[in-house]
Amino acid sequence: MRQQVPNIAGIAGIGFFILFPFVYSGADYDYIMHICIIAFYYAILASSWSMLAGYAGQFSFGHMGFMGIGAYTTALFCHYFYLSPEPTNLCTEFNLGGTWLVVVNPIGVTSTTLTQDCLRQALSAWNGTVQVTPMPVWLGIVLGTLMGGLFGLLIGLLVLRLRAAYLALFTLGFSEILKATISAEIQITRGQAGMETPALFEQGITLFGHTFSKTDKLPPYFVMFFLLLACLGILAWLARSKFGLFVRALREDQDAAAALGVNTTKYKVLVFVVTTMMAAVAGAVQAHYVGIVTPNNLFLLQMSLVVAMAVIGGVENFVAAAVGAILIQFVLEMLRNSFDVGGITVDMTIWRLVIFGIILMVTLRFSRNGLIAPIIEYFQRGHVGKETVEKRMASEGDAEEPAK
Amino acid sequence: MESPSLFWGVIVWMIVWGVGGSIATRYRYLHKDLDTSNANFVGAMVGAASGPIGLAYLWVQTPELTNRLIVGPAILAVTLVAAAFAFADPDNNCVVNGSFVASQFVNGLIIGIIYGFMALGLTLIFSILGVVSFAHGEFYMIGGMVVYFVTAVWIPGINPILGVMAACAVAFTLGAVFERLFLTPMYEGKIDRPVEYGILVTFGLAFTLQYFVQATAGANPVKAARFFDFPRWRIPSAEDPWLLKSSRGNMTLFDTVSISNPRFVAAVMCIVVLLTLLYFLHRTWTGKALRAVSLDREAAAIAGINPDRMNMLAFALGGMIAALAGALLVQAFSWLPQVGNIPAMRSFVIVVLGGLGSLPGAFFGGIIVGLVEAAGTGCIPDAQKAASYIPAYGMLVLTLTLLLRPTGLLGRRFSSGTHGKF
Repeated sequence: MRQQVPNIAGIAGIGFFILFPFVYSGADYDYIMHICIIAFYYAILASSWSMLAGYAGQFSFGHMGFMGIGAYTTALFCHYFYLSPEPTNLCTEFNLGGTWLVVVNPIGVTSTTLTQDCLRQALSAWNGTVQVTPMPVWLGIVLGTLMGGLFGLLIGLLVLRLRAAYLALFTLGFSEILKATISAEIQITRGQAGMETPALFEQGITLFGHTFSKTDKLPPYFVMFFLLLACLGILAWLARSKFGLFVRALREDQDAAAALGVNTTKYKVLVFVVTTMMAAVAGAVQAHYVGIVTPNNLFLLQMSLVVAMAVIGGVENFVAAAVGAILIQFVLEMLRNSFDVGGITVDMTIWRLVIFGIILMVTLRFSRNGLIAPIIEYFQRGHVGKETVEKRMASEGDAEEPAK
Repeated sequence: MESPSLFWGVIVWMIVWGVGGSIATRYRYLHKDLDTSNANFVGAMVGAASGPIGLAYLWVQTPELTNRLIVGPAILAVTLVAAAFAFADPDNNCVVNGSFVASQFVNGLIIGIIYGFMALGLTLIFSILGVVSFAHGEFYMIGGMVVYFVTAVWIPGINPILGVMAACAVAFTLGAVFERLFLTPMYEGKIDRPVEYGILVTFGLAFTLQYFVQATAGANPVKAARFFDFPRWRIPSAEDPWLLKSSRGNMTLFDTVSISNPRFVAAVMCIVVLLTLLYFLHRTWTGKALRAVSLDREAAAIAGINPDRMNMLAFALGGMIAALAGALLVQAFSWLPQVGNIPAMRSFVIVVLGGLGSLPGAFFGGIIVGLVEAAGTGCIPDAQKAASYIPAYGMLVLTLTLLLRPTGLLGRRFSSGTHGKF
């Protein structure tokens, strides 16, 4: 029975989060929902990073870079591509059987020569007689995911030979180059001003007879939540399949794994592609939910948060990492209140991060599996001693060996 | 740029032949059962510099890859890029204005010395502990903050050298305490993957320190006053000081090269400390013990050196060097709690370029990165873009190094300890 506690708790947690938006009716409903959405977003990033770092041993510090690729791909796509029934004769455009695919020219933030891009000029010339259609948001998200996967493939191939510290430095460098490029190419990406993105459901959405406007929190809440469940599902399936076994073998000893017939190149690249796609889809959906993307999303602080969440949850268990991320996001929000001690105001918006950093270091020092993962493990073990479980696992492994 | 297609055409040509050459040369040397450790690098450089002709020579002759063959094509390739740039953009400041080039070069050299000095701390930590400290930038930041608080807030009018010493003491203590508290389990074999543990725990330290300083000192930029003024010199004569002219904050050499005081003072002090450090490492018992541990941990232990104590010393010393670099540069730049991020990244680039664990490599790498940054900021036509791309120049160097020659300029293979895992 005790072995089932984590599963029961998991199902209860999923049930809780599904029912929560319908049951809860406090005055701060929107605020709580917002925290939940952001918590799910971090949970996707933390669990995919724990797959990459904890399972495969690839300590990539560029995870936020891939998130940014997802977010910026969909933002650029929605910003520069439109469908029009009439040719504008101003923009670059392609005829797609009666409708024109319009590529808007980039004018940057403060252009001295142009105040309107070509499409706005055409629209004001038409004077409302022609309606242009923006690109569907879901297509942008799909493209963002694919682009994240593509970059994951390239980076994965580049870092094949790098291990440990070199890999961490290289991926950190990749993320920094990306940030510098986005900040510098003001003409196209609008630099630090950021790019506005359409809402997830720009026209609103009708579900079960109830119409939600584009600012309602409920649709993005469920989009993000089911995305998290899907990612966890995929990760669980991968971890239990041959993929998970091979990837863990890679982590422990790459040369030994290769000698035993694991295609190390393939699995190293594959784990990169899968996890970066998850980061990219999370970034793309979050970009449409928040409504703006800026290069600040790629700051090292964001990466530190994801790493800390995964480590405190348990870096070798992606469910624990996800739970850790959700819990930490809530704790960090709750610690936002400043208070007075003897006439001095303690600004908790900063101090909470200091406390967080100390917790991170102490967790690493004294409980390397994180804080959540050992609890799950304790219940799964039942009343059997730790050593006994290890011995059983070892003997099971031996028994399975000849069967292959 | 007047004819960008010429410049980019040459670049694409070089990249294509470089990539092709790198792959082909490695393949060829592997199949002829020759030493391939430099094949990638030489293949790429020969391909980039001379295209198919040089590659055909490599393919047919497969000469031994000597140092001459490593350095020559590399210099040729860099010259080729510079020439392409000069032809593509003949009106650029970097091409027509000799004094501007000289000025950029000298300033790049000066700032490169400081970068190299800071990277030295990182490479010292790595060569002894086998850990890349992700908190290096935070030590740099703390150094500057301590100098600012000592000289400008707590005891105004104090000799800035005392402030610098205070910064060193703080960083040294912090490094030693952190090492004792958090890095000791690494040596006892209690951790499966010590390298990753080291990265994560120093990452945690960086996070904590940065927000601790932001919480206590605030997020507003601060700046310390100039440490020293230049004396007023006019050489050779007051009427025509063509050789050297100095005012309090600036110095002009040959009427062309302008050097700002804070950077010059910082570079001179860096060189002084560097010489002291070299004396310490080569002439004292403790310094020799440090080097012995970095060469072979077990053998050093047999000879009566306590490697654990050397770990503590190395981490504290490395942090102190970073803090010293920060303490010297706080008079040149405005200081924020986040100021350490870019120098930390640059130090990573430098140590990888110079070869992880190599002290002279770090110093030369620093100078190269300083020059590359000076060239990048000075020569790119759009000044605003050039400034935004500053972190990217170093990263470009890092990427090229990791792809072509992961051991760096002067890297060596480690014989023992966690180093072997790289």
